[in-house]
This record gives sequence, structure tokens and C-alpha cells, in this order.
Amino acid sequence: MLRKLIYLNWSAFLNRLTNFQTFLVVGYIIFLLILFSNLLGSALVIVLFDQNPIITDQLPWLTAEIHQLITLIFANVLWILHFSFTSTRLLNMEENRKLLAYGYPVKKLSWYLNLMGFFHPLNLIYNFTWLVFLLMQIQNLMYIPVVITVVLLNYAVIYSIKHRFLKIVEKRFKIVVFSALFLIFGTIQAIAIISRQFEQIIAHYLPSIEIINSYLFYTPGGLLQYTATGTYNLPTASAIYGFSALLIFMIFRDHFFKTREGLQKPVRERKIFKRNKRWHYLKKWLGLNAGKFYHYVFSHSYNRLQLLTIALIPAVYIPLLLQLGNSYYSALLIPTMLAAIPVALLAMGMANMFGYENKEFLLHKQFPVSFEKQLKERFLGIIVVPLLIFYLITTAEIIYLPQLGSVVEIYVANTFFFVCFTLVFLWASFYYYKKVNYSSFSFKHPIIPQKVTFMMMFLIFGLGYAVFAPLGEYQIYRLWVMGGLIIAIGIYLWRDMDLLVRAFNKHILQPVWAEAEQ
Amino acid sequence: MPDVNEARLQMNQAIEINGLQKSYGDTSVLNDFNLSVPEGNIFGLIGPNGAGKSTLIGILTGLLDYDNGKIILNGRELNEQNELIIKREVASVLQPPLLFEHFTSHDFLHYICDIYEIDPETRQLKMDSLLEYLGLTEFEHAKINKLSAGSRKKLSFCAAILSDPEILFLDEPFESIDVISIGRMKTILNRLQQKGVTIIITSHILEIVETLCDDIAILHNQKIIAYLDSETRKELQKDATLSEIFESYVQVEQPKNDVLKWL
Repeated sequence: MLRKLIYLNWSAFLNRLTNFQTFLVVGYIIFLLILFSNLLGSALVIVLFDQNPIITDQLPWLTAEIHQLITLIFANVLWILHFSFTSTRLLNMEENRKLLAYGYPVKKLSWYLNLMGFFHPLNLIYNFTWLVFLLMQIQNLMYIPVVITVVLLNYAVIYSIKHRFLKIVEKRFKIVVFSALFLIFGTIQAIAIISRQFEQIIAHYLPSIEIINSYLFYTPGGLLQYTATGTYNLPTASAIYGFSALLIFMIFRDHFFKTREGLQKPVRERKIFKRNKRWHYLKKWLGLNAGKFYHYVFSHSYNRLQLLTIALIPAVYIPLLLQLGNSYYSALLIPTMLAAIPVALLAMGMANMFGYENKEFLLHKQFPVSFEKQLKERFLGIIVVPLLIFYLITTAEIIYLPQLGSVVEIYVANTFFFVCFTLVFLWASFYYYKKVNYSSFSFKHPIIPQKVTFMMMFLIFGLGYAVFAPLGEYQIYRLWVMGGLIIAIGIYLWRDMDLLVRAFNKHILQPVWAEAEQ
Repeated sequence: MPDVNEARLQMNQAIEINGLQKSYGDTSVLNDFNLSVPEGNIFGLIGPNGAGKSTLIGILTGLLDYDNGKIILNGRELNEQNELIIKREVASVLQPPLLFEHFTSHDFLHYICDIYEIDPETRQLKMDSLLEYLGLTEFEHAKINKLSAGSRKKLSFCAAILSDPEILFLDEPFESIDVISIGRMKTILNRLQQKGVTIIITSHILEIVETLCDDIAILHNQKIIAYLDSETRKELQKDATLSEIFESYVQVEQPKNDVLKWL
């Protein structure tokens, strides 16, 4: 029965793969192999490197305490990685639930699904790395069952915590996101400060390493480490083993019952009765069409995440670049990153132009308002908001970062940057719609795929070099060229705005209609 | 076989279609299609799956282009010049219904009222009464993508009625809807008919079509193969149900008697 279940799940998984997804899966397998070799390699090196005489000769500061500190840090980093990568969405409940209708016993199904979750490659990689890392440090054979049990317990606990953590994220999205933002920003700043004054900081904390280690032993990674390196006798080992085994049994039992409940009682989608003010404000400020467009864009969590990324990258890197002082790279990278913010917003908007509302456009097309007018309003909305951000950023650059150039230079360069990408996105939204599936601006996948993100990064930095690289006395010629091109592109954009309407009628309407009929 | 009634052409026609042709690539969906629907009629359009009913409604509601032919709605030819005027006079409920998925029912209906410039007092009165009558009040502030199939259909129906149409196209309007709501929808349709609204219904539930519609046309093989006005229907339905009449026109190939002998 288990064999049939595995076969069914694999068939369901493989049959859904398109060529592009198969390519992604191959990439994922390569990623897993690299991850596995890196983790295992790091574990081996960290455990063994203090035993190598060549290394100990070259690193005289490597005392037993420092080595312990390094292994404890590694154990905790491994735990954080394990926690982050453990997937809780391994069980395909929707598909497997159908098996119940064909008489598959619910108890067996629930048990097998949990078992299959445990054998996910990522879980195997992390649990195996833990085993190798800890078993290499044991002092006595009696530690082996304890280590194995504790590794299993660790997996079960991570699985349980993460399940609950995801629920918290769903309920408290904003708080979690801002905390993450704060944490990442703080960590990077801390690393930057430490890397600048590495020796002084180490020298300052060196006498306290034993105290730090004693604290680190109480962290999750430290506790796992202790089961292999701590000194305890057989009764203690038996007690740890027995208690951990009991906990594993109880947690797995809990998972089993939860899975069985999940299989038998599918979660009914809640009808949301919350009044949302966002739409009313957007309608007031941006009108019926552009307002609706932004309302939809913000309804999708992926877009909120993209917005966060757009805010996060400059928030982290620009202060770091500013700390580097007036170097050539900061003169180039800072304005490029700032100019890229409105461009990224524009890209997000254009990717969603016909996106989430593809079927709804049929209703829009029935309205007694020119469809061209409706689409133009949306398009103007897509331009206006990034344009506002663009002006705010440019003004802030002029006030707070005068070293980047004169007022005219910054305005012309940023405007040029913005109109160039508006043109690129307008063309892309017309020509790429010919390939409706998996294009950068597809109505079926209204999110910017990674390959397009990479291409855009390349274009942004390429144009950044062309526009912001200091040219000295030739700067004035570049300004004239950019000014001329801004006017030409501006006239083109104004005259050819119906490109989007034509794109919809020519490439989108028919597939949307066919899909709506299904 | 009764043809398009000559006498009807003398009456005021809400819809007149002549020589309509529509194809998707090499596949022809409607070929030399002709139809006239009198004003104020509740008109049933029935046909097997894939007959082209939805495509016809798509064309009549201005969603799909057609290859050839002439369409007159409410005395105006459907072309670029008249498009917006016609759209103001026409409303539809499509299958599946077209709704704004991320809106609440309340916000969606207000959006429709904004588009059709309905004043605040009238819209509130109409919205409240329609939602109450069709049992949707409790879902007024629910997100549309969380509503059941029946509630979605009813909401789309409300939106279509709100715009005060002169011609109403309903594609499978009773699918997934409970008996009580079907009764209420029928009452609304009868009231609209009394106001002179022309209603075109496509449905596979022939019992409802039979009781609700005045005239019925059968669409098959890209054409109207039978036009049954009320007189003709009365005559034919003395001996047969609409379902039997439909089968006799469509001439579905009967399966062999022993095909289910294993059952």
C-alpha cells in the first residue's frame, strides 16, 4: 500500500511538471547536492580542524575554548538553517484526501504521509548532517542512541514549531515582516561593524569566551552539541534517551492525529467579513480603474513581499556603501540603486497590468465606458505612483546626497532611467503577450519570474553604468544626449499609449474568453 | 420544421441577427446565423454542449469580434460607433459569472453603480432590496472569492439588474442555485418583462426554460434549427415534453441497447 501511495504521489508530481518546471527541478536537485556537500564538508572541517597539526601551527590563537565557540556557532547556524528549510507543506493533502473516497484506510494514509514527509530530501540532508556532526564528537558508544534520538526529537520539534510559526506569520504578517526587516538590517550592520574592527572586538571578548560558551550551550544547537560532547553516565544517558523517545512518540502521535483530522475534515475557507478601507482610499485618490488595479496588486502577498524586497535592498546596502566613503563604486551604485526603486515598482505594476483580473476584464469590456479609456487610466496609475516615488527619491538625493552630482545631473539621469524602462515595459507588455504562458508579462502568471528579475538587474546595472559613471568634462554631452532621448521617448509614449489596448484585444482577449468558458 | 416566423419580423425586434459568421481559427462556430427576438420577450436559446450559445452571447455583449454579418440591438447596429450606447442598454450574466474576485459583494455592486452613474439613494434602495430578496444580505461584506457558486451567480444577477438594462442576456443563470432562489429570480424576470425588458436565456434545465420562456430556439450545427414561438410550442407540447422535442430536432445518435448490460 505504501508503494502504491509513493507511486501515486510521484506520478501526480511528475505529471504536473511543464518543461520549464522540469528544468527548475533539475536545478533544485543540483542545489540540494551542493547544499549537502557544503553542510557535510563544513561539519567535518569544523569538528576536525583543531586536530590537524599544520592548522594548529598556523593558527596559534586556536585554543580549545575558541574551537568550542566555533563548533557551537556552527551548531546554531545549522539549527537555524534546518529550521528555515524544513518544509511543512510536504503533504499533498488535497490530492491524497481523494484516496479516502476509494477506500484507502485513513490511519494508514495519515501514518504514511508523515513518513513520506520525514523522507523529504531536505529533511534527510539536515538530519544526516546532524548525525555525522554529532557522532564524530562522541566520547563513548553509549552516546550513539542518545544522539540518534535527540536528532529525531529535534526534527519533530522543528516541524511542530514551524507549523505554529507559519500560522503566526499568516495572522501577524506585518509584525513578522518588520521584525525580520529590523533583524536583517541590524545583523548586516553588526557584521559590517565587526568586520571593520574584528581584531579589537575579538581581543575584547577573548577573556569572556568561556562565559559565552556556557550561554551558547543553552541554545538549540548547543543542547544538541551537548548530547555528544557533554559528560554523563549511563543512568543519565538512559534518562535522556527515554525522555526523548517518549517526547518523539508523543509529538509524532500528535502529528498523526492532526494529519488524520486534516484528511477527514478539510479546512473550510472562511468568508471574510472584514470591511477593507484600502479600496475606498484608492478609489478616492486614483479613480475606479487605477484604484482597483492597486487594490488587487496589494491583495496578493507575493507583491507585498516584492515591495518589501524593493525597500530592503537599498535600506541595507546604501548605508553600507555610504560608510565606504566617496569611492568610485559608491558614486555609481548608490544612484543606480535609488533609480532602480521606482523602476522596480513600475515593473511590478506592468507585470500586473492584465494580471490578476484577466477574466474580470471581460466584465470591464462590457461596461459602457471605452475600454481604451479604462486601460489608459490603469496605465497612468501604474506610472503615476512610481513617478511620485521617483520624485521623492530624486529630491532626497539632491538634499541629502549632494556628492552624487548637481541638481540637473541627478534629475536628467533619473528621468532618463525611468522613461527608458517605461518604454521597455510597454514594449514587453505588447510583444511578450504573444507568448501567453511563462512570459515576463503573462496574464496567467502575473508575477515577475526570477529569470526576468535577473535580466532586469542586469539591465538596471548596465544602464546605471552608462548613466551614472563619472565622465568628468564629457558629462555635459551625456546630459544633452539623455535630454534629447527623454523628449523623444516621452513623445513616443504619449502617442502610442493605445499599444496596451491593442495588446489586450490582439493577444489576451481570446485566451481569456476561452478560459472563462471552461 | 417551423422556421423564423415571418409575422415576427413585422413586430418590433429587440435583436436582429443576419448572416452572422464566427470561427476560431479553422473551426466554424456560427455560420450564416440568423435570428430575430421580439421586444419584451423572454427568449430561450437551447442547444447541446458546444453548439455556440456562449459564443453568441459573447458576441452580442460586445466581448467577441465576429467575422461577418449584421447585428442590430434595440434598433442600433452593433459597431464601433454605437458600441457604448448599446453597452449601456445591455447587461449579462455569463457562465461562469464575471465578478471582481477581491472585492466584497457590497463594494462590487457599488462599483457597478458608479459605472452606470446610479445616484446614491436609488442604488441603496435597489441594492438592499435585491440582496435581501435573493438571500445575499449576510454575504454583503464577504469577499467574493469566498462565496459559494450559487451566491456568485446570484450576485452577478443582481449586478446585471442594477444597471436597468433593456436587453438582458443570461447564460445558464440557474446553475448551482437553490429552488427558492430560482423561484425569486423567475419573479424578478417576469417583473422585468412587464417593464418591457427583453431577456435571452440559455439553459440546459429545460423544465425552467419551458415554464419561463415565451419563444424558444434550438441552436445546433452552427445554426438555429428550430424556432418555437408560443403557438407552435403549445401545439407540439400536446404530445411531447420540451426535452423530447429537443431530442427530435437535435437527432442525437442513440446508444446501443446493450451498452450498459454489465450494470
